[in-house]
Amino acid sequence: MTRGAILKLEGVRKSYAKAQRSVEALRGIDLSIQKGEFLAIVGPSGSGKTTLLNIVGCLDLPSSGSVLYDGRELGGMSETELSVYRKENISFIFQSYNLIPVLTVQENVELPMVIERRYSRSEMKSRAREIISAVGLGDMADRYPRELSGGQEQRVAIARALVKNPIVVLADEPTANLDSRTAEEIMSLMETMNRERQTTFIFSTHDAMVQRHARRVIVLHDGLVSEDRKEAA
Amino acid sequence: MSTVVRIALRNVIRHRRRALITAVTMMVGIGFFIALDSLYNGLDRLSVDDLINFRDSSVKIFSAAYDADRESFPLDKGVPDPASLESWLKRDKRVVAVTPRAQFLAQAGNNRDTTYVIGTAVDPAADPTVFALKNVVSGSYFTPQAGADRQIIIGRELADKLGLTLGDTMVLAASTRFEAQNADDFTIVGLLSTSDPTLNKGTVFITLNAADDFLDLGGLVTEMDVRLRPRVNLSDTLADSASVAAGVKAAFPTLAPYSFQDLNKGILTVLKQKRIWGYVMMLFILLIAAVGIVNTVLMSVYERIREVGVLKALGFRGKEVVWMFILEGFFIGCLGSVLGAGLGILINCYSIYVGFPLQKFGSDVGAGFAFWGTLRGEWNPGSILFAVIFGMVIAMIAAAIPARSAARMTATSALRFV
Repeated sequence: MTRGAILKLEGVRKSYAKAQRSVEALRGIDLSIQKGEFLAIVGPSGSGKTTLLNIVGCLDLPSSGSVLYDGRELGGMSETELSVYRKENISFIFQSYNLIPVLTVQENVELPMVIERRYSRSEMKSRAREIISAVGLGDMADRYPRELSGGQEQRVAIARALVKNPIVVLADEPTANLDSRTAEEIMSLMETMNRERQTTFIFSTHDAMVQRHARRVIVLHDGLVSEDRKEAA
Repeated sequence: MSTVVRIALRNVIRHRRRALITAVTMMVGIGFFIALDSLYNGLDRLSVDDLINFRDSSVKIFSAAYDADRESFPLDKGVPDPASLESWLKRDKRVVAVTPRAQFLAQAGNNRDTTYVIGTAVDPAADPTVFALKNVVSGSYFTPQAGADRQIIIGRELADKLGLTLGDTMVLAASTRFEAQNADDFTIVGLLSTSDPTLNKGTVFITLNAADDFLDLGGLVTEMDVRLRPRVNLSDTLADSASVAAGVKAAFPTLAPYSFQDLNKGILTVLKQKRIWGYVMMLFILLIAAVGIVNTVLMSVYERIREVGVLKALGFRGKEVVWMFILEGFFIGCLGSVLGAGLGILINCYSIYVGFPLQKFGSDVGAGFAFWGTLRGEWNPGSILFAVIFGMVIAMIAAAIPARSAARMTATSALRFV
């Protein structure tokens, strides 16, 4: 494994059965990702971006090939082990925010810690409060998602993703539902979090502006990496 | 409060209109279950009350000697010292009234045809305090006018059979206490229409004074009938009856007291079996209400499949997702059950304390169901508790069906769900 790599994919393939025929979404991906990277996966629709994110996020298993987190192979894990690993090490930011509508901002951010059952009540409260302030929503902790704008909802999603200091944050089209100004703010926020916390961010996007923020861009085409380039900081 | 509980509860509140509609469906189901159960018991009670009011009273007391030979109506084996027994009985606060009766076998005729009947001699003053025959007599009850000792009240069907009506003369023939044959004419003053076909078809009533003369009874009575205080619930009525009968037996070993259940074992068994089938029918009402819960939770599940995907992506396990939806069903079930219990209790208050006058439903009688008096419900706390718990449990089971299918989805397919 490459020195310092927290995530390594070797010959990852994924195929789905669709309308009685097999569709190969990934056709042999080799990838090595270092801790603290700010990485964009780009490519046209159907190129395999979301499938790759799902596999990296342990939401799905590859049909063949291996996925190694810190040298640990995920392929041999059971569904439960995978769920536990995901809970402890990986966070998600979704295109449509996917906050739980009946929980307040504070409760949404606390949710990953509640599920992990490793934190005391006071620790959960203080961690959530701290990260909510860090994403600029300190005065909105008691509001419900319906009382927030799209940009504010995505900030909450970022806070929820970061509250447990995960190894990797995966973001599927995180700015797709935002206007350009808000999208710029969200990307700046994610960059700041990446810089300050050394959290690895991997996001899929179509957006050229988002790509400009990335320090590494992986271009997918027909389920294969067609380009892997480092951007100037 | 755990997060699963919080999410479930807040989702119910968030979709309160939908939850309320479902809860109202349950409320109607459970409310009617409780009310129907109460009325069903009330109908059973009415049958029992009919037997108490027209035939058996609350406690019936014979002499042990008479009881041993009761089938042949022995007129020489009466209740010894009925006055002392009556005053002893009246010391019990549960005893409302006591009346003496004498039963005899007779032939009733119209000068052409005759038929065997059971004659009952009654005290016209005391008998209406124990039995309700006076309420179902057309014509008149025994009157103290001249010639009253030759008055007779007969069942309407018996009158029809013999072609007799009010004011006609019935010839009664019977063995006296000393086994001599006697016959006499009686004027029909009343026709009985009760819920008991045996009374309507084969029973005649005369006064004890007339029987003294006609049967040479010399003051003998063959039975003492006791009315006990009214109780709302049948179980209490039966308990009082058994207890008073047991008291008589202990105090007067030469007497043979019969509680209501001693005299009506078969009827009580039939009523019990009827009630079981009644419960089965009423359970269907609750199952229909459960369909509403399935529908509500199903809608909730479909609306929130992406949310399930997020929760699973965050680390929720399948069983936690199932619990979340089951709890939603439970909260709706609680609301429906409590509202249903409230509705049921409200209807019961009316049916128990006001009741439904049966005359309004028609005037036909004699088919085993009384159409006089008032149909009243009965309190049945066990049944109310059962309905409430059943409502909650059925709501949880109903919610579990769609919840399990939601929990089976993988996080990725749930997140992709549109």
